[in-house]
Amino acid sequence: MLSLKRDKKEEEEGGGNPFYNLEKSAVLQEARTLNDTPIDPRKCGHILTKLLYIINQGENIGQNEATKAFFAMTKLFQSNDPILRRLVYLGIKEMSKIAQDVIIVTSCLMKDMKGKEEFRGPAIRALCSVTDSTMLQSIQRYMDEAIMDKGPAVASAALVSALHLGKGSHEVVKRWVDAANAVATSENPMVEFHALCLLYHVLKNDKIALFKLVSKSRKFRSPYSYCLQIRIAAKLIEREDAGSNSELFDFIESCLRHKSEMVIYEAAQAIVQLKNTTAKDLAPAVSVLQLFCSSPKPTLRFAAVRTLNKVAIKHPAAVTACNLDLENLITDVNRSIATLAITTLLKTGNESSVDRLMKQISSFMSEISDEFKIVVVQGIRSLCSKFPRKHNVLMTFLAQMLRDEGGFDYKKEIVECIISTIEENPEAKEAGLAHLCEFIEDCEHTVLATKILHLLGREGPRTPTPSKYIRFIYNRVILENAAVRAAAVSAIAKFGAHCEDLMESCIVLLERCQLDSDDEVRDRATFYVNVLKQNQKPLSSAYILNGLQVSVVGLERALHQYTLEPTETEFDMKSVPLATQPLAEQKVRDVPGESASVKPSQDKVAASRQDVYQEQLAQVPELANLGTLFKSSRPLEVTESETEYYIQCVKHTFSNYIVFQFDCTNTLNDQLLENVTVDMEPAEGFEVSKSIPCVNLPYNKPGSTYTLVRLPSEPTQVTGTFACTLKFLVKDCDPQTGEPDDEGYDDEYVLEDVEVTVADHVQRVMKPNFAASWEEVGPENELEDTYSLSTMNTLEEAIKNIIQYIGLQPCERSDKVPEGKSSHTLYLAGVFRGGHDALVRAKLALDSSGVTMQLTVRSTDPNVSEVLATAVA
Amino acid sequence: MGFFDSLAQWLGVRKKEVNVMVLGLDNSGKTTVINHFKPPETKNHDIVPTVGFNVEKFKSKSLAFTAFDMSGQGRYRNLWEQYYKECDGIIFVIDSSDKLRMVVAKDELDLLLQHSELKNRRIPVLFFANKMDVRDAVTSVKCSHLMGLENLSDKPWHICASNALTGEGLHEGVDWLTDQLKEVLERKKK
Ligand SMILES: Nc1nc2c(ncn2[C@@H]2O[C@H](COP(=O)(O)OP(=O)(O)OP(=O)(O)O)[C@@H](O)[C@H]2O)c(=O)[nH]1
Ligand SMILES: [Mg+2]
Repeated sequence: MLSLKRDKKEEEEGGGNPFYNLEKSAVLQEARTLNDTPIDPRKCGHILTKLLYIINQGENIGQNEATKAFFAMTKLFQSNDPILRRLVYLGIKEMSKIAQDVIIVTSCLMKDMKGKEEFRGPAIRALCSVTDSTMLQSIQRYMDEAIMDKGPAVASAALVSALHLGKGSHEVVKRWVDAANAVATSENPMVEFHALCLLYHVLKNDKIALFKLVSKSRKFRSPYSYCLQIRIAAKLIEREDAGSNSELFDFIESCLRHKSEMVIYEAAQAIVQLKNTTAKDLAPAVSVLQLFCSSPKPTLRFAAVRTLNKVAIKHPAAVTACNLDLENLITDVNRSIATLAITTLLKTGNESSVDRLMKQISSFMSEISDEFKIVVVQGIRSLCSKFPRKHNVLMTFLAQMLRDEGGFDYKKEIVECIISTIEENPEAKEAGLAHLCEFIEDCEHTVLATKILHLLGREGPRTPTPSKYIRFIYNRVILENAAVRAAAVSAIAKFGAHCEDLMESCIVLLERCQLDSDDEVRDRATFYVNVLKQNQKPLSSAYILNGLQVSVVGLERALHQYTLEPTETEFDMKSVPLATQPLAEQKVRDVPGESASVKPSQDKVAASRQDVYQEQLAQVPELANLGTLFKSSRPLEVTESETEYYIQCVKHTFSNYIVFQFDCTNTLNDQLLENVTVDMEPAEGFEVSKSIPCVNLPYNKPGSTYTLVRLPSEPTQVTGTFACTLKFLVKDCDPQTGEPDDEGYDDEYVLEDVEVTVADHVQRVMKPNFAASWEEVGPENELEDTYSLSTMNTLEEAIKNIIQYIGLQPCERSDKVPEGKSSHTLYLAGVFRGGHDALVRAKLALDSSGVTMQLTVRSTDPNVSEVLATAVA
Repeated sequence: MGFFDSLAQWLGVRKKEVNVMVLGLDNSGKTTVINHFKPPETKNHDIVPTVGFNVEKFKSKSLAFTAFDMSGQGRYRNLWEQYYKECDGIIFVIDSSDKLRMVVAKDELDLLLQHSELKNRRIPVLFFANKMDVRDAVTSVKCSHLMGLENLSDKPWHICASNALTGEGLHEGVDWLTDQLKEVLERKKK
């Protein structure tokens, strides 16, 4: 007892771990002595343990070193010491990924898997870790036997290893289906579960077989089997779009009454995650979760609130029933549970409870980790958009959090929350900007400071008192690092460009910045001073307020190309591909609470999807000379999924051509397709000029064929529908080996029509200051008309359809209609094929007969105005 | 810890242990040879080509053998060398009915004898001219000629015609190896 206590104390001091100070090189050195004969099992065991320890600590061991140690270890097979042998198995498994020639132990392991009972399971696991695809054939029979072995440990080991062997490969795992089927009804719960796992893995693409697997409503021995079954059923329901009236749903629901808590939870969790559920379907699931909320087991309470928290995002009403239980959890000793409870309440609470909740939150904010603080901020973010009238309380709270201690991620979350609130709620704007101004006075994160400065530059000039922000911004120029100073300079320039009365003083400030020690800051200042001094609206709009819209990667490539071929002509900005995704607005307004996992990483200047396509197309010699790729559409399916051939079409627009790229997958394992093309029946005015076949299309290896179509010469004729047929030569082949017959026959397959729309000819461009651009383009080619959109019942619906059809970028958040308004103006911006600016203003009004729209189009080219104006008609 | 080891030695209970490697081309009968020496209850009735290697233990009249039965397939032969260092003797099995590949066997043998780990050691090499029962098998004399054994002068060697299926010739060979190894052990003691 005494010594036990002492051990524990030592452990706390970090002295309890004998491997604490292990050094990789020393361990590897020592591993060489594994070679020594005669073998000393105790000593070798100790060395192996150390080796395993350092590997598991994530130490990187070089291939050579690892191979040496591995071979030394293989010699330990001559000892029959059981402890040592088990360590050897572990060693093999760990090292099989780093050492070479690990296959050397195959025979030894195969002997052990038939040998002493205690070695058999571990030997199987080790064997599968060293087996590569060339050896599968030779171990197949032994694995089959092992799966059907009487010993559950052996059978389980074999089933699990078979799954690991298949790592993703359906073909491999398929070998063991029969054996797994034979033991799926095993007496042993573990074997039963592992057999089901394997079967599921093999069948996961076979809907009908899966259905059978699940609907065979039999009793399982293992609760894990039930959990698996529930997951499969849920997946099937999703895939089939079957609602709650399906047999599968009944099965899941019946599991809510199972005796194992794990199964109950799994079932509840599955139900709340289904897409098409009604409040009635959810009720039983929510009520078991509610019961779990008052369980004495912290894990259950945690699982329950976490799940309720998710439900609250989609179905806040369903969770309100649990509000009382959740409020009790706010004081839970486990802080993670408390935080989740609070944020769930934030989602389900009503306007009147906001103040009380915020008070409760502030009482424990200082006790929780950043990670959970972020969760709280996300909760507040959704409150802000739900109860815009409460912005005062919420903003004050956020500002307080901004002042408190916290790491970068936490601060970033708060800043983003404030920014999104400002954008959504004009009334919160001034207060929000003021908080952010205060924050940058003392902000250690360059990224956040520049982000805020950018926002100030965009929003500040349009507030009633722009001048008050300039002081905050100019302070940054004096006090900060170069990156922040540069951002501040750009912000000041925007005030100068937008507010005439401030221009003089802004120029003075910028002139001071021309003396800055940093190149970038000086360059920017010089540039802005010169532009501002011209005092021309269009110039200021194009170069200060709205900026450059091209793809950075594309610009780099175009400039490089230009320098390669000396010419007299000037560099043409219009030849540069545009940034496909406008950077600012692209951010998915994700649902708070789930945002952490799905944030698109847009911080770096990564090559966009379109840059990748451009590169790909350039590889095809027949398509190399089409010029700059203007736009690539999203891939559209032109076959139904789960048919013989799966085909997607991507439209690539160039200045005079469209390339239709068909990405094809052949899902028949007994066919090889050759010379695959898509025959397109051109719409009027379009002309198919070439098609580039996919030479061969073996089973499950995607390939592409292209059709090149010349656009009509009449500039206003831009849309059309194309009937498509897939044509190819079929060679039947052996499904096992893929060996094709010598002879083939021609065949064809009808695809869905492909449409070319106005949206294919325009590229979205974000104009942060739409009014400035509107003036910049001017009324020269303006067209205006009034339409009545009688099929639309709401403004939102009308806006969605217009954007989808015209394919331009909504600016100034004008795609959001403030609540309760019956009229609204939508601003759209973009560039038309050929590089012409295209701006659209749609004034919408809702009345009893539908939506009326006054559409005004401006462009630098008259034809473009015409195309856009007629697009909606 | 060393206590029991030395006690056992002092009492003379344990047989001396030696490590040997069993080498030769694939299908020459290495695994079958070793299988013959194993006690009946652990004998393997279903011999398949070895992948990598296997460790087997057996006893002769006065020594305990640990045999590394290596795979003879081409892709594994270059891994033999990993085990040279700790071995006290070599059993080289030749399929005496496979005249076609005798040169390959000779090449492998030459490589082996030239290997830096073995070149300067006087370790005994026992050859089995195996599969003597097959009709057109060559005699052990012919076999030793084809393998160029007359030039092997710096290591003690011996060749036996054998039939691993019946065990014929195997004991004679292993007895020779035992004597050689004991001599080495005696010499080491002094
Ligand atoms: N007729 C005859 N067949 C033999 C004899 N010895 C072995 N065999 C057969 O030869 C085949 C190969 O034997 P193995 O012992 O597996 O050969 P190995 O040298 O271990 O082969 P690898 O492990 O691939 O290097 C088997 O079918 C044996 O039954 C023999 O003396 N006479
Ligand atoms: Mg063998």
